[in-house]
Amino acid sequence: MAARPDDKLNVIGRRQRRIDGFDRVSGRSEFTDDIRLPGMLHGKILRSTQTHARIVRIDTSKAEELPGVKAVVTHKDAPDLMFSEHQPVLAGDVVRYVGEEIAAVAALDLLTAEEALELIEIEYEPLPSATTLRQALREGAPVLHVRSPDNVGPTMEKDWGDPDRGFAESDCVIEDEFRTPMQHNTLAELHVALADFSNPDKLHMYTPTQGAPMYQMELAKGFGLETSQVRVVYRNIGGAFTGRGRPKPHHFVAALLSRKAGKPVKIKATADEEFIMFRASGETVYKFRTGVTSDGVIKALEADITFDAGGHDEWAMILWLPSVYLNWVYQAVGVRYRGRFVFTNTVPKGSHHGGIMGRMSAGWQQHIAHVAQELGMDPADLHLKNAVMPGHESPDGSVFASCGLRDCIKAVVDRSGWKHKYGKLPKYRGIGIGLGAQASGSKAADNDTSAAMVKIAADGVVTLYTGIPDMGQGSHTVMCMIAAEVLGTEPESIRVVQGDSDITPFDWGAFSQRGTFTTGNAVKAACEDARQQLAEIASRELDVAADRLEFGAGRVAVRGNAEQSMSFSEVANKSLHSTEGRFVMGRGFFNSPKPFGALAFSFGAQVAEVEVDPVTGAVTVDKVWAAHDIGRVINRLAVEGQLDGQVFSGMSQVLYEECKVEDGLILNPSRLEYKLPRAYELPEVDYTLVETIDPYGPFGAKEVGEGPIVVSMSAVAAAVQNAVGAMVPEMPMTPWRVLRMLRATADGSTDVGKAWSEGLD
Amino acid sequence: MQRQVMTLTVNGDRHEVLVSPRQTLLDVLRGQLGLTGTKEGCATGTCGVCTVNNAEGEALLSCLTPALEWDGEAVTTIEGLERDGRLAPIQQAFVEYGAVQCGFCTPGVIMSAQGLLNASEQPGEEQINDGMAGVLCRCTGHIKVKEAIRNVGRFRDAPAK
Repeated sequence: MAARPDDKLNVIGRRQRRIDGFDRVSGRSEFTDDIRLPGMLHGKILRSTQTHARIVRIDTSKAEELPGVKAVVTHKDAPDLMFSEHQPVLAGDVVRYVGEEIAAVAALDLLTAEEALELIEIEYEPLPSATTLRQALREGAPVLHVRSPDNVGPTMEKDWGDPDRGFAESDCVIEDEFRTPMQHNTLAELHVALADFSNPDKLHMYTPTQGAPMYQMELAKGFGLETSQVRVVYRNIGGAFTGRGRPKPHHFVAALLSRKAGKPVKIKATADEEFIMFRASGETVYKFRTGVTSDGVIKALEADITFDAGGHDEWAMILWLPSVYLNWVYQAVGVRYRGRFVFTNTVPKGSHHGGIMGRMSAGWQQHIAHVAQELGMDPADLHLKNAVMPGHESPDGSVFASCGLRDCIKAVVDRSGWKHKYGKLPKYRGIGIGLGAQASGSKAADNDTSAAMVKIAADGVVTLYTGIPDMGQGSHTVMCMIAAEVLGTEPESIRVVQGDSDITPFDWGAFSQRGTFTTGNAVKAACEDARQQLAEIASRELDVAADRLEFGAGRVAVRGNAEQSMSFSEVANKSLHSTEGRFVMGRGFFNSPKPFGALAFSFGAQVAEVEVDPVTGAVTVDKVWAAHDIGRVINRLAVEGQLDGQVFSGMSQVLYEECKVEDGLILNPSRLEYKLPRAYELPEVDYTLVETIDPYGPFGAKEVGEGPIVVSMSAVAAAVQNAVGAMVPEMPMTPWRVLRMLRATADGSTDVGKAWSEGLD
Repeated sequence: MQRQVMTLTVNGDRHEVLVSPRQTLLDVLRGQLGLTGTKEGCATGTCGVCTVNNAEGEALLSCLTPALEWDGEAVTTIEGLERDGRLAPIQQAFVEYGAVQCGFCTPGVIMSAQGLLNASEQPGEEQINDGMAGVLCRCTGHIKVKEAIRNVGRFRDAPAK
């Protein structure tokens, strides 16, 4: 039954403190590195020191003889063990980037393992390398893979709707270029894998993850096991931010070492190694083209994106991610997308917080502001004129059952005093607006299923079994709130069993913003099932029709007659401890009925106000006004936390974050030199929640986990653009880049961005 | 490298431990003593996740402290903040104000905040900014962390929850 705005709710919408708060503030929460299994060994990986080289010889004999060493593995131990289609877990005859996994050691302690690595002899024959997009695309560039003689890997070319017609109907077509650097996510909990493969029939993998099934499937495939022979344990997870969606090479290496040594093996990243293990986002170049009519109707949108994939194409999904975002914000006639992966001799790339959409948006929304400028329009008016509306079907076939984008724009324009500020601020101050949209869950080739179970013990205690990992976003609290709402009890009275793929029902996990929406729907269904069973028993005991019963305060009561009621424990006892012996257990699952894509979309708009120091070039973000349509708000406290975190991470990526890479080597692999905002740098955030009630969401809820960062990045970037007077063609907008922009705009250089990008190597 | 016996008082309990010169205070807390509430983040002093309090109640990066230099000293870790099974005011404030998300940095962030509160019962905005500059929280953007510190007074002498 679809949710309605006037549904009477007891729990949903509260400021609910985390159900696991006590454990987390008191040091009781157990993370992977806190686990010690009997006989556990410590593993270390030997990594390539070369950008591109042939391995002539590996000699591990001295390492094997070192006392305390229990296993040494190289390519020879698992020549067929592949990490991705063309990439062995341990390099064979060629290495293609600094940091590539070549060999590994398991020893009694970490110091011995480190010492053993030093004893492994490797002879390289260096090969010519290409470590930047420009080098890799140059005529006669060194070739990384024989199958891609031009170093161009997978590509995607797609038109939705009719972009040719859209451009033909436009009065003007604006083009811009943008570039984002290699960035890294600096998770609180560094990458760690503890593998116990001492029984070759079962691989136990203790590791932080965004979802067990991908880990089970990929590890099972690699080691020739059935999926159920891989158990993934992930009790607490120190952040994920797209970085833990699928296993990484160290998971395979830990398993390989454990199988060989017959003991559990833990591999944990060091601070600098983390920058290799993570597979962060790579250098990316964007070309935007937009066709508009002279009165500001956006007709066609185009983006052409070149990605630095690194030494291998590990994660081709990144290719299509930006394409959908182009479809979901404005009502264009047609959308054109071209994307390509380029191989370089650098670490293979994955994704960063906000996916590729956030990074793109920092350029794309500046580009749209540029379009407005060319038309002589206020960008807020251009956004409002073209923003999608409820019921809109975008060119890619997505239908927005609920959509509050226009209300979000109006809210931030109003609350920020935009009309009094835009174009009227003193010199060196800027204000910018950005928009975004994000899907709640998404179906590709496979399903998009989450399942859940709930049991009601004889003492009335409700236990929820869920496979959704809580990486900090508060999913378990949200699931308890949903369960409590259905069952008429309190979230903190519900127990959660999670974090072990041997126990919990199937759930793809916490990515593609599917937690609240998809798992939430599954939990709701499971609890409705349990509720119906409780109602059947109570109806018999109280001798009334089941539809006359209501659930509240942990009791089942006859509507309008509180005297006639039973507690959960009385109902559960009646059924279990009787000759009937019935145990109340609810089950449910949710999978979008659509064959492809998403059912629900969240939307948002943000305005950022910044100040640029004309002497140092430093940017200060003074305030951010955020308005988001996330459907029904389930936990207001957690929603605010999500928004805070995404403003933080968004401004961080736009203003600070950059891996400095020279000859394929990351020069700043540390949390000091890879700059992130500290407590004193955060702006005030003003929240407006536009609660559209989505017909498909649990109680009308949609995602809030990634939509906002895309918007934050675009608003902050547009504000800097406004302060310096021209589109900033590159991220991060560090002081020297901002100074350079100020100088260029003061000179009256009209084509700042282009000239700048061309000067880059 | 010769291992040595050292004494260390943690949360009021005195321990004798065998320590190698390469081990840090963090290694001893997590390894020898099994007090895994203190987390190891970067282990290079850049993230503040390993923060504990020294005998004077000041924040200390345990990952940069050679254990043997701390022979005979006392430290307080996240496990030592509770009194009679009741969370300390700063711990309660973190829960109530939503200053906890993934929880990995939380022990270090709380011990930094506690260090700040040990020096000043009601730190001002600038003191909070300075005192919390050494820890990095990836999830919360520090916004609710600061809110919790500002409002810690509400939880002093408050009835246990």
